[in-house]
Amino acid sequence: MTGTIRLGYAISQWKPNFDDFTRREQHVRALKVIAACGFTGVELRAGTGRWDPLGRPASIAASYGTASAFAGLLRQIGIETVCSWYFDPGEPIGEELSPGRSVLDAGDHKAITESVKPFAEFLAAAGGSRLVVRPLPSAWQAGRLDADAIATAADGWNQVGAATAGLGVRVSLHADCLSAAADAKILNALLAATDPALAGLTLDTAELTLAGLDPVAVYQRYRDRVDHVHLKDTRHVDEAGERLRPHAEAAMLQAGGARGVGRWFYECGTPGGLVDFPALLRELRADRYPGWLVFESEQTPNPARSVMLNGWYARHVLRC
Amino acid sequence: MSDLKWSYMDHWRADTPRGPMTQYGSRRLMDDFVKQISAVGFEGLDMFDFQVYGLTQMFGSISKYQEYLQDHGITKIVNLFRGIMYDPRVADPHVRETHDEIVESTRRMLGMWEDLQIENLIVMPASLYADTAPVTKDKIRAAAECWNRVGEMSAGFGVRTTGHHEFFCAIRTEEDILSFYEWTDPRYVSFFCDTAQHCIAGVDPVALYLRLHDRCSGFHFKDTRLVDTTQAFAHRPDAELMAPQTARWFYEMGTEGGLVDFPRLMRALKEHQFTGWITVEHDKANIGGDYAESTALSMWYAKRVLAEIYA
Repeated sequence: MTGTIRLGYAISQWKPNFDDFTRREQHVRALKVIAACGFTGVELRAGTGRWDPLGRPASIAASYGTASAFAGLLRQIGIETVCSWYFDPGEPIGEELSPGRSVLDAGDHKAITESVKPFAEFLAAAGGSRLVVRPLPSAWQAGRLDADAIATAADGWNQVGAATAGLGVRVSLHADCLSAAADAKILNALLAATDPALAGLTLDTAELTLAGLDPVAVYQRYRDRVDHVHLKDTRHVDEAGERLRPHAEAAMLQAGGARGVGRWFYECGTPGGLVDFPALLRELRADRYPGWLVFESEQTPNPARSVMLNGWYARHVLRC
Repeated sequence: MSDLKWSYMDHWRADTPRGPMTQYGSRRLMDDFVKQISAVGFEGLDMFDFQVYGLTQMFGSISKYQEYLQDHGITKIVNLFRGIMYDPRVADPHVRETHDEIVESTRRMLGMWEDLQIENLIVMPASLYADTAPVTKDKIRAAAECWNRVGEMSAGFGVRTTGHHEFFCAIRTEEDILSFYEWTDPRYVSFFCDTAQHCIAGVDPVALYLRLHDRCSGFHFKDTRLVDTTQAFAHRPDAELMAPQTARWFYEMGTEGGLVDFPRLMRALKEHQFTGWITVEHDKANIGGDYAESTALSMWYAKRVLAEIYA
């Protein structure tokens, strides 16, 4: 697989709270750790405000001068590119005076499309290629989704995908465990309704597992649509359906739900981990998957430790 | 083929629900530790000699532990640090009457490791400055005699005995260090250059290496932000953790404000064609820091900055 696949890391794990990870030297230390462990790409997460200096292209420019200056710093550290950027249209954007938008509302589509353009432009300039998006709101917020609602969302992502495609950046739909998209029927309907030329699928191993979906089976079914992969492990499946209940972001994901789970997500290969990473890699290798494997470890108590464990796993188990 | 290989001197602590713990009490913590140092490019591991007891309990034998390391990407245990708490009544290099005990206890310890190919037995060549003062030429000569005997004995195990001069060690000034190596036998006693320790003691580690390069058998690459300006080296009962000047003397290579000129040292190593293992150390990194991050940052510096000079 060497030569076709590339390894990236999601830097968002260093920022568990909105006022963490604000200083340049903290960014530099994190990026050096990522580089030291053999990862050559970094995925950013969209954010807002002065305390999220890596959250938006304009924020990066404010802290680092220009996008190219930031890209130059990355290369100096040993990271080739910002491979991808995660964007959730439902999150507030202070810079745009937006309390959050919904792809289920056709009236928001134009604003969402305009909002993502700077991210796509930045990615294009930095050598990145994926705008990873939350395709649907949380299940408890979205409510029951009929065919018209799915069609509306799909139309929105088709518009966004068309806007970024010209820059060489593909929109990739990422079903996190709380999203209404983390459901076999809805995911299938959404993918069927979106244009494969304009919207791909990000396979997130732990998010799917936690939501009761087998990530290997999801890959086998949608192998032609998968254009980005997030690798992380979990020891849990939400069999009680807590992810579907009101305020699951806090009650389940943060507080741990009825079981009081301290941490939902782990490094690849964690003892008791449920994801069959070797099986997934066999599938990816068979297809000569040419994209990024972005490792994640949100909820880690020690980001450096997690990057090192994932780096070891990538090299010694996955043989990447 | 690289001229240099990197080894990690273990002072590791892992965060656990019970607080900071070493990996010697838990196979799971050991797994995590070995994976982490392997992930950033270390190929060797240094440790204190007394870890043989815990490792034998955990793995059955020290050989099986090294096989386990190899399965995880670490090729060998490179150097041992001799863990003796000096006491003039029992074992103290400047007290000639205790030399037999130092030689024999070290022989017994090396016997426990003889199935491996250990490169260096690293020793603090004299007791604490505070316990030795005044430091006289005769005391340095006595220490030299001690380590000549130990070195001759360790050579029988294929292991070099090598002196590591902590800033609080009795043999700490450039003059005394040079005297020590003048009075020890080059066949039996080598010099182990700890960059930060010398820097703290006000000795330029690069200049010292240049003076002793033909005796040098290895390095502890670590940094410091402070020179001892308060005679901390003489602080009782301890200088390393208890001196008023600072709670933390040691940092990883590349730290902001670091005093060690590593690029200059690498040029010196290249000039004198040093080959073999370089050990990275950053003991007490958990004082205001974190072992995992310090370890990754050290190897980032080694691979991205130092390897550009000599690799």
